Amino acid sequence: MPTGTKQRILEAAVLLFNREGLANVRLQQIADETGISVGNLAYHFKNKEAIVVEVYESLFEELKQILSTYLSHPSLNDFDEQLSRYYAFFRKYRFYLIDLFEIERSFPDIIAQWHEFVGKMIIQIRRRIDYSINRGIMVPEPNKGLYDTLADNTWMTIAFWIPQQVLKGMPLDEVTFKSALWAQFQPYFTDKGWEEFSDTITPLVVGGK
Amino acid sequence: MRSKFSLSKEVYAQMLDALNNLYFSDKLGFSTDLKFIADDFWLGDTAVIEQLHLRKGMWEIHLIFAYPAAPTRFLKRRITAHANSKRAEQMAFYMRRLAAKDQRGTITITIDNFNLSLN
Repeated sequence: MPTGTKQRILEAAVLLFNREGLANVRLQQIADETGISVGNLAYHFKNKEAIVVEVYESLFEELKQILSTYLSHPSLNDFDEQLSRYYAFFRKYRFYLIDLFEIERSFPDIIAQWHEFVGKMIIQIRRRIDYSINRGIMVPEPNKGLYDTLADNTWMTIAFWIPQQVLKGMPLDEVTFKSALWAQFQPYFTDKGWEEFSDTITPLVVGGK
Repeated sequence: MRSKFSLSKEVYAQMLDALNNLYFSDKLGFSTDLKFIADDFWLGDTAVIEQLHLRKGMWEIHLIFAYPAAPTRFLKRRITAHANSKRAEQMAFYMRRLAAKDQRGTITITIDNFNLSLN
């Protein structure tokens, strides 16, 4: 994990990428935002590409941490906590989705790694559904393939909820984000599932507003 | 960018399945399951007997902790091993002294402790 000036440069870069877009940020701006000279910046990173690669290293590291929280404890709270982390993550790195096509063109390695993470995220969601069925809080799959679609849709909401709020000019807040996600699972809850949801998640989602 | 270790989707899915199953196969135990750990007060009043065994060219030092009130209750542990028999003997002597509650060795186990009846 980078420390000191290097870390400050990366934080400034993420801030600027989010604000201006990946293509519009120049090294001078990153140096100004960090409060150092371009010469000093060049000592740490030889060009903007090197910064972008390092930013992605941190991004993937954080995503790995989130994925590792899978089923820390056997309850709906476990998913709710993971959703909070996803929200913080996608909010911090929202430039990524805005600049997706730019990244795809210039950084094929990053895209390959990103695809791998996306695959893992979707598999995790799908396995969570299986686990919930076994626990008796979700009904068995009503028709084949439906829960695969549900897992895909859940991932889409996790990844694209923030950009769509920005497009609509709506505020960003974690409670609305989580409500949008839980709404996708609610039709498939059993009575036991509803009971657990009302006891553990409703106070967080409703009470937080 | 450095090449990273990656797991195929199938293996990752199987790994998560195994993790899911863990919560269903693991059952809560009973407090009595760990009673043997708590129930060790008798070890404080045991006679300690050292034993040497030649095994694979090494002299192994074993200590036996036997309870005089009920000699069938004992615990045997391998402590260490030494290549030289004299040194092993010496070490066993000090190991026993170190482990025994009564260093002079007055707590002993004899045949009488077994309360055998020959009738």
